[in-house]
Amino acid sequence: MGLVLKGVMQSPVTPLKEDFSPDYGTFERLVDFHVRTGATAISWPHHKAESHNLTIAERKALAEVAIKAVAQRVPVSIHVSALALEDTFDLARHAQAAGADAIIAITPYFWKYPPEAIYDYFIRLGTSFDLPLIAYNSPSYLDGVEFTGELTARLIQRLPNFIGMKEASFNSEKFFEILRAALPLRPQFAMIAGVEYLLPSVSLGGAGSYSSAGAICPNLCVELYESCVSGRWDRARAAQYKLSQLWLLFRDQYPSSLKGGCVIMGRPVGPTRPPLPTASRERIKFIERRLEELGIVQTEPHGW
Amino acid sequence: MNFNLGLVHAPLTPFAEGRIDYSTYGRLLDFHLRNGTEALALPMHVGESVSLTTGERQELLEFTVRHVGGRVPVVAHVSEAGTAIAASLAAHAQKVGAAALIATVPYYWTPPQPMLVEHFATIGRAGGLPFFVLNAPADMGGVEFASKSAVELIGRLPEFAGLIDTSMDWQYMIEVVTVARAEKPDFQFVSGTEYMISAAAVGATGLVSTLASVSPLLVRNLYRACRTETYAAARHLQEDAAILFRLMRDAGVSGLKVAAAMLGRDCGEPRPPLVPWRDGKALFAAMSVAGSFKAEPRGWA
Repeated sequence: MGLVLKGVMQSPVTPLKEDFSPDYGTFERLVDFHVRTGATAISWPHHKAESHNLTIAERKALAEVAIKAVAQRVPVSIHVSALALEDTFDLARHAQAAGADAIIAITPYFWKYPPEAIYDYFIRLGTSFDLPLIAYNSPSYLDGVEFTGELTARLIQRLPNFIGMKEASFNSEKFFEILRAALPLRPQFAMIAGVEYLLPSVSLGGAGSYSSAGAICPNLCVELYESCVSGRWDRARAAQYKLSQLWLLFRDQYPSSLKGGCVIMGRPVGPTRPPLPTASRERIKFIERRLEELGIVQTEPHGW
Repeated sequence: MNFNLGLVHAPLTPFAEGRIDYSTYGRLLDFHLRNGTEALALPMHVGESVSLTTGERQELLEFTVRHVGGRVPVVAHVSEAGTAIAASLAAHAQKVGAAALIATVPYYWTPPQPMLVEHFATIGRAGGLPFFVLNAPADMGGVEFASKSAVELIGRLPEFAGLIDTSMDWQYMIEVVTVARAEKPDFQFVSGTEYMISAAAVGATGLVSTLASVSPLLVRNLYRACRTETYAAARHLQEDAAILFRLMRDAGVSGLKVAAAMLGRDCGEPRPPLVPWRDGKALFAAMSVAGSFKAEPRGWA
């Protein structure tokens, strides 16, 4: 399991046609765009890819497109979380057969359950497949269901293929608690922040982040990561402040506004499936103004 | 208004037979001064501010200002449930020589944001000193001082100098630094916990430390490493701080007091409703897992 994750990893949105069907051609171009503009890995479909609004069949078909489009230039992980765990295991089986480099899974949705249930679930997931496994911790979205340092350590001890965690608490104490339990047991274990919160996480020993705004401003993402790892903290702060402004712009009803922003950057990816709204023309105008104020339009690639 | 918080110790409040033990308090203040503090903040929650009468809070502050005699600035914590009571504490603090003020959101009430701005503006005006908001949602029923409100307060209160954060929430921290500094470039962001690395990377220039009662050496080293932005070197210090922080989050003031006593600085028991920590030995053993703890000063030296 030699897969070591670091840097800014991109999780593409899912391009849709006007009739809301998957736009395979644009998806291929988007994945390729991310790889060409500095993504150190591709991970799909995170929630920003509307994973919950896609059928299992669509997820499988699009996963194949992603893996093929990346063509082994960087590692590809497939997010297999679904409401029903039967679907999760089905997606994981498919990911392995389709040639994914890893799977990523969040703690099960909706239900409240004790920490032991998290442990059992990840043991089952980790021992059922030969792929590296990335866990996904999101206490604020899952109403307090979360990994502890102790639970993470036990999983590392049992699962040689448990290689990292997307830790999306955005909280110093929680992030560091897991990190300091994991790294002594597995020094290459990748603690990956959510969005591009690299400044507070890389300084703590984090490996990198997934990305919210990579389809809008790949240069800024790379700049932030490079500044953090080379210890140029003033530059890192400037980039982080800017990326955090973008996150505030996109966070609400994510990824509607993000998809709206893609229009401005000349890389339209179509509408967002309900119940999420599609960014209106006024909203896109507003996003365009913000992207200009932040200097994004002027400094980032336009078109594919 | 060029007042920088820097490294600030928040002392315990010693009691003997139920009353503030001033002779011990004087020694405790000297201990903090000898062990790296650049300013003192009191009585913070760790100093059992909410268990002191208004008269005691004022007396404690007056004693401190006299005892410190200008060696470091003394910052008064004036949080209260009622705005007028907090404002009168602020006015008193100014009168007796405090250098700055700290206040968090009102106790018990869970006011909406406009009421928070009004509350702080009134306290800050009454004090006429550099004013710091303490954002501590986990301690204050989930009430957070929103970044938008910080911007509003900057407009309303020239004394509003900065924000002390214990949320450790990256989204909040970065947002508040970004929007507040856009309005006021010298707006101070200060870590209210010893999770200093991320806070400093984000732009914190100060630390209000509650662990300084038991680990002033660690706190000073961590603070220095963070202020010089040598984060990789600071990580083992951060690990020790995390061990102590999590222990004391559970054990609270009672735990700090029992640990301080075991370190040779007996500050008595906490006031009710807090109960003394039972198993000091086990707590001390757990603290000793932090490698740097052995080197911490014993006694009043």
